[in-house]
Amino acid sequence: MAFRDRDSGSYAAGARLSRRGLIRGGLGVAAGVGLAGGLSGCGSALSAGIAGTQLAPGTVMYWNLFGGGDGVRMVAMQDAYTKSPGASPLQAATFAWGNPYYTKLTLATVGGAPPDVAISHLTRMQNLATANLLTEFTDDMLSMVGLSPSDFNQTPWQAQKLNGKSYAIPLDTHPFVLYYNVDVCQKAGLLDSDGNLKPIEGKAGWEAALKAAKDVTKAYGASVSTVGDTATSWRWFTTLYSQRNGNTPFLGDGGRKLTYNRELTLDTLAYIQQLTKSGLMPANTDYAGAQTLMFTGKAGFYLEGEWEITTAQAVKGLKFGMVPVPTIFDKPAAQADSHTFVLPRMDRTEDQLKRAMGFIKFLLTQSMTWAMGGHIPAYLPIKNSEAYQKLLPQANYAKAAEFAVYDPPAWYSGSGSNFENITGAQIGLVQQGLATPQAALDSIRSQLEIYARTESPL
Amino acid sequence: MTESTTASPTTVSTSGRARRARNGVSIAAPAARVVDNSGKGSGRTFNIVSWVVLIVFAVLWLIPSLWAIKTSLTSNSTSAIGAGPILRDWHLTFGSYKTLLSGSDLWHWYLSSFVTSILTVVFAVTFGAMAGYALSRLRFRGRRLVFLLLIGGILVPPQVLIVPVFQFLNVIHLLNTYWAVILPQIPAVVAVFVFKQFFDGIPHDFEESARIDGAGYWRTFRSIILPLSRPVVAAMAIITFVGTWNNLILPLFVLSNPKLMTIPVGLATVQGSYGQRLSDIQASSILGALPLVILFLIFQRQIVEGVAGSGLKG
Amino acid sequence: MTTAELQTTATVARPSRFDDEVGGPRTQGMTRAGWLFLAPFAVFYILFLIWPVIYMVITSFFNTSMVRSGLGSFAGLANYHEMLTKPDFWGALWHTIQFTIYTTPPLVILSFVFALLANRVRHAQWFFRLAFFVPFILPSAAIALIWTFIFTPSTGLWNEFQSLLGDPAPLPVLGTPSLAMIGIAITTVWWTIGFNFVLYLAGLQDIPRELYEAAAVDGATPWQQIRSITIPLLSRTTTLVLLLQIVASMKIFDQVYLMTSGGPGVSTQVLLGLVTNTAFTDNRIGAASAASVLLFIVILIITLARQIVESIQNRREA
Repeated sequence: MAFRDRDSGSYAAGARLSRRGLIRGGLGVAAGVGLAGGLSGCGSALSAGIAGTQLAPGTVMYWNLFGGGDGVRMVAMQDAYTKSPGASPLQAATFAWGNPYYTKLTLATVGGAPPDVAISHLTRMQNLATANLLTEFTDDMLSMVGLSPSDFNQTPWQAQKLNGKSYAIPLDTHPFVLYYNVDVCQKAGLLDSDGNLKPIEGKAGWEAALKAAKDVTKAYGASVSTVGDTATSWRWFTTLYSQRNGNTPFLGDGGRKLTYNRELTLDTLAYIQQLTKSGLMPANTDYAGAQTLMFTGKAGFYLEGEWEITTAQAVKGLKFGMVPVPTIFDKPAAQADSHTFVLPRMDRTEDQLKRAMGFIKFLLTQSMTWAMGGHIPAYLPIKNSEAYQKLLPQANYAKAAEFAVYDPPAWYSGSGSNFENITGAQIGLVQQGLATPQAALDSIRSQLEIYARTESPL
Repeated sequence: MTESTTASPTTVSTSGRARRARNGVSIAAPAARVVDNSGKGSGRTFNIVSWVVLIVFAVLWLIPSLWAIKTSLTSNSTSAIGAGPILRDWHLTFGSYKTLLSGSDLWHWYLSSFVTSILTVVFAVTFGAMAGYALSRLRFRGRRLVFLLLIGGILVPPQVLIVPVFQFLNVIHLLNTYWAVILPQIPAVVAVFVFKQFFDGIPHDFEESARIDGAGYWRTFRSIILPLSRPVVAAMAIITFVGTWNNLILPLFVLSNPKLMTIPVGLATVQGSYGQRLSDIQASSILGALPLVILFLIFQRQIVEGVAGSGLKG
Repeated sequence: MTTAELQTTATVARPSRFDDEVGGPRTQGMTRAGWLFLAPFAVFYILFLIWPVIYMVITSFFNTSMVRSGLGSFAGLANYHEMLTKPDFWGALWHTIQFTIYTTPPLVILSFVFALLANRVRHAQWFFRLAFFVPFILPSAAIALIWTFIFTPSTGLWNEFQSLLGDPAPLPVLGTPSLAMIGIAITTVWWTIGFNFVLYLAGLQDIPRELYEAAAVDGATPWQQIRSITIPLLSRTTTLVLLLQIVASMKIFDQVYLMTSGGPGVSTQVLLGLVTNTAFTDNRIGAASAASVLLFIVILIITLARQIVESIQNRREA
């Protein structure tokens, strides 16, 4: 650009105006944003962003990963807390389920600005604790709010301990279960005289039930998500796999070895593929699509964790029931995990600690609301209460907690982890008919082997 | 027409545009198009075909945005069912926008984006101009080395450095502050070279006279060079603003708290607690894009010129 | 891809000569002033570019972990070995190249065609500029939300359109390994075509009218004029657009992270996604640094190739 030719008249004037205009415009918009947006919150964020001051002093910052049906319940519990006497202001944030959530939590803790309280799956908090990212729950801290270890279902309580120390307070156990559309199953003759589902046993029983349902729906017998949902694909597979005699844990030695039973794995994958190929189950449906099929009567059954009960109850005119996943193979089993409360590592004042513990205690007392959302509470005063024992359809599947199968422990394993992503992705392809069981397993093996032989960074 | 009319691409590309720009004519006004004197028939056909093809594609290009807007004005329950219902439902509602503008963290995201973008622009443009001035006007020992280091820096894409930058910000305890987003984006080598190139074109006469009057380098810089550089400053400011606003990878990992997130990060990470709020999600993308669209409508010329001009430079 | 990119490479193409006679002989005051003017920029440059590069190279030789302090145990070349023998790494490299191949031709050719036509019709320029260019300034997160919604399996606008065309059960674009990258490419073409469009438009407007008039007098049809005048004169712009596109594609992160998270499985994972996953989800900084260095080397090779091509072109024109 030859400067000499530049006429510093009109053009430069135009540019001069534009810069002033930019600044004026920018200030104007910023002022508008500030005025309209509630300056108090913005003020605190501004000073935190610029000066690194504490973002919301005196509040409880709480992160979770609950979307969908769970999200609805958790928000109800949070609202109850906010309305309770003596409650501190609450700032809750929900992040995408799985790795994105745990990455966020880890980065926030490493960066010194974690939430006061966070949710964590039991299978993931073990790794967080090993990485020194969690604050220990001492008996003193528990008694500060009137809790003790004996208040909790001992299965998850013992499972969360690391080296004898507690790093998590369990909230629930949530297994994989079977939902059924009452109208469809009625017409298919699958209900008994009380209107409950007749027990389904074995492969033959399962397929017969699906076929009967499919004849009614003219679409599918049962649905489970197959697309973009690695977690559910893994859960479906491992539920079936764990039901078989002679099955071995998928990972061994803390994740350093791959110890699955090859024939059983291949056979289970082949069975899953056969179900979708034969049209008894859909080959291409995502998380939302799978449940919509059952809700709208295009499938008689739906397989997912019990947490979708809230979504199902919100569907007008839908009559549904829930039972443990039938024993299609040899013994009862269902994939499960537990949600827990954890305290990310940070320097806490006494007040902060009291607020955090108070919040946790209150939410535990809301376990009934949580249970109505499908979960099996870990807080015994609620779990053993009459109200819960009488709750339907929860009572029909509560025993699934007894044969719950957790993900094998490894630094790369747990709910929503790379392990589930890798296995779930291949299982999904098998469901969609895009990969053979052999190819899928080979792919799983080669991907997991890399993780198995990598030294744990924790 | 005082400029040469040879077919040499370099002279053509810079002079023609500069000429038109100088005269205040919008860049977009075409001065030369394929001329057709070979017979009205084929020319007219070509014209019609051009119009049709162009309009078809332009409409095609508008569809995704229009679809997002339409969905955002539909209720969540209709959107959840599918595209067909959305197309058929013409009961427009602002419910999604009300939800987002009253209860969500969107305002915090706006604040964060504005603060980080404006501060980045201020620092990056100022420091870039100063550095460009040094390289253009001042000869000092080590200038060549500096120049080489800067060129080397251009070869390193900033995204590749996300991991060590995160570690460094952690060590100096700046994670989860706006500075974590601002500081790494200040050293924009682009800006330095653009300014240097521009300053190189300013004749020395102005400074000579100022120097004779005893003005120091800073005074010369501030009162003579900068005023002459307004268009470049404006262009760099706009481009830096848009670039900072739209940056995803850096704030994604250095900002964890939802109340501090910039708009792209907020849109990408925080999801509501309710299930299929598809209309709300589309509304959030519209709201997230809105400030930039407004900016574009106001500063269209500068943005387009900034893009086109710098692209043809050299 | 940022507009800043474009300027970077453009200005590097022809750095000005170092005139030691500029502004008179070097003086003490000038040296000090030079460093002072440079200082603020230099500080940030060192802290946020030079030091991170050094740190990245160092940690690539260690098993540095995100959650443990210090550099971790010495790993020698183990991290590099892991990356270079990991199918995921080569897969990510291939997907990055695949993305480049899918997006570059449409982004170059379509934008040229659009600019040509827009230049020809002369009217309603503002409309076409709006339609093609506005997506470019939108944040990636916004366009990802828009397009992920369009690609919703079975019920999204895309699949709905396919059903209308007669496909009874259209495959979910982002959920099918063979289609996911295409979906991302379509989104990217929609998003960034405006940039090239504007470049070409500006280039077209620089071609003097007289050339076309002269050719028309000689009896050339519009198509012939395009072929013999327009395309050759735009060759520099085309080269620039082409090479910029390729370099920018190598750095892709946003769309993949937002739309597929590298999935289904790892069928769309790209190099930068692999780097950030390894660092921030697997907590393995050392391994991620090794992958970053390798990515940087790949980009370096491409950028240098571009420089060579451009200097050959320059020499040919001279």
